[in-house]
Amino acid sequence: MAYITLFAILALVPIVFDDSFLLNQLSRYSVFAMLAVSVSLVWGIGGILSLGQGIAFGLAAYGMGMTMQMQFQDPITNPIPSFMLTNELEHLPLLWEPFWSTPLGLMLAWLVPVTFFVGFGAMMFQARVAGVFVSIMTLAMLAAWYSMAYDMQPFTAGFNGISPPLPFSIFGVDIDPYSPLAYWICIGFLGTLTILTKLLIHSKFGLIVQATRDDAERARFLGYNVAYYQVVVFAISGFIAACAGICWVMVVQYVSPTSLELSMSVSAVVWAAVGGRLSLMGAILGAFLVNGIQSYMGDELQQVWMIILGFIFIGVVLFLPKGLISIFEYIFSIFDSKIIKQSKNQTENEAL
Amino acid sequence: MSVNFFWKAFELYPFLNALFIGLSLASIWFIAAIGLAIIYGTMGVVNMAHGEFIMVGAYTTYVLQSLLGINFFICLPLVFIIVGLFGWGVERTIIRSLYKRPLDTLLATWGISLVLVQAVRLIFGTSPLYVSVPNWLNFQIDFSFLHLSGLRLLIIIIAMGLFFATWFLINRTSWGMRIRAVMQDKEMASCFGINTDHVYGLTFAYGAGLAGAAGGLFGALKTLFPDMGSGYIVEAFLVVVVGGIGLLGTVFSATALGELNSVFSYFTNDTFARFVLFTLVVVFLRFRPQGILTDGLKRR
Repeated sequence: MAYITLFAILALVPIVFDDSFLLNQLSRYSVFAMLAVSVSLVWGIGGILSLGQGIAFGLAAYGMGMTMQMQFQDPITNPIPSFMLTNELEHLPLLWEPFWSTPLGLMLAWLVPVTFFVGFGAMMFQARVAGVFVSIMTLAMLAAWYSMAYDMQPFTAGFNGISPPLPFSIFGVDIDPYSPLAYWICIGFLGTLTILTKLLIHSKFGLIVQATRDDAERARFLGYNVAYYQVVVFAISGFIAACAGICWVMVVQYVSPTSLELSMSVSAVVWAAVGGRLSLMGAILGAFLVNGIQSYMGDELQQVWMIILGFIFIGVVLFLPKGLISIFEYIFSIFDSKIIKQSKNQTENEAL
Repeated sequence: MSVNFFWKAFELYPFLNALFIGLSLASIWFIAAIGLAIIYGTMGVVNMAHGEFIMVGAYTTYVLQSLLGINFFICLPLVFIIVGLFGWGVERTIIRSLYKRPLDTLLATWGISLVLVQAVRLIFGTSPLYVSVPNWLNFQIDFSFLHLSGLRLLIIIIAMGLFFATWFLINRTSWGMRIRAVMQDKEMASCFGINTDHVYGLTFAYGAGLAGAAGGLFGALKTLFPDMGSGYIVEAFLVVVVGGIGLLGTVFSATALGELNSVFSYFTNDTFARFVLFTLVVVFLRFRPQGILTDGLKRR
């Protein structure tokens, strides 16, 4: 219920406020919220601390960037993006060919990260790698991909990144990053993905995944193929992160190795942790809250803000492992128990 | 695009030079990783702030050198003690409450690293600073195919010295015996009267101190900037995890990874070499998660 309220409120924002800068900001936050949701799913529910959600985010972002770039290129007059010409490439590389077609480009932007996550996850979880080792392996993989994107300048424009000159256009509609349409698309993605994930968590599949999180050995003894569940939940979180990557490039019209940086991936973990990793709502609120405060703190406080955030993060990890949202849950539980006590008293009196 | 785009023809002398550079790289990674290995091996704590300890050590060396005018070589032990004390404080306050939750220690130490980077940025600003080495170190060995700077040679020698010192500390002193006991089984060790909290604190301090001294050395090698820690942390982790829990394992993995990196970057270039190396490590970990050398300890 609370989720529907949240999304209804978010959806109504463009009608109330007319500030396009604000809309763009909120679209960015919703992308971050999607990343936080993916972390919350794989970590809070699945028990896998993946520091490499940025891999899916970055790969999808590059896929989308390439699609948008190729929308700008014309096959006859202007077939090769300018950064390739500067890198002395004469023909469009094979890797870029599929991106002439927008639907195929979008498909690839989703497919490649998810397939990678399936393969990588299968490799890790079949070997029963767990806990800290998973984190380190995802960390190493992320660093590897970052090096790749940074280095392959003819293909990925290196550290300069790809900046498609035109906004994304689909079905003949130009999606201006500062328009309510872009905002609604992002919120739409966020809302649909969150609600679907919530349904997944409350399904039988979700219960088994939580069982593997709590005690993998016990789940194995009960007969469940733990590796399978871990791979699937890992892949789904990769899918969510990929959606985030796609929306990101749509909203900022730029992709660079920064999206594959360690700080982006770990920031997603920070948002989910601060907001509440066990609750998707918490992750979303964490992302919005942290990024919102960060943007509006201004330059002077910005420096101190990072220290404050670090301390908040340490504090949350130490004292509030369930995140800030556990404070709300605690408050609600006080009300709940009061109501239950009252009704209990009534029934006792009646029985007597 | 053909594969030939990457691969350079094999020439003996530059290749041998690359092997030598690999040794220098291995010594750097070994020094960076050894503190982490000791902390992880004894306490199972993944210290994401290790890179930042290195950075703090470098900046402390800068302060000691420029403000107090202390000789570079005396700076190093001083920095060891200062950063060690700082590490001990961190362990007492933050790490202590998180022993049962290894993933949360990872996150808490990441929070510490954020705070450290930002604090250093506030105090020193973002422009690069320099630690200078005594003049007599500014020589270059030009020995037919070998080109190596004096400082890198010093780092290799210090790495070997550190290895022996740590080996001696852990295997030949009573304190080292306590550390080994706690490494094997914390509860049993405390049953035997070893103050495990004390051991943990000192171990973390030792690891942090090593990182600080490493920072002093590395600061002289490259420039100082607040983000420099991030350049060491991933490699240090990989060295620790590939090497397994143990001093010798760390040496082997540092050498192997350093040489492999150098060889790959000889054939292709630095960043692609990194990509190949990390992928290889991930594949290796899948088949042997406990690392190259383990003493039969249970896999954490």
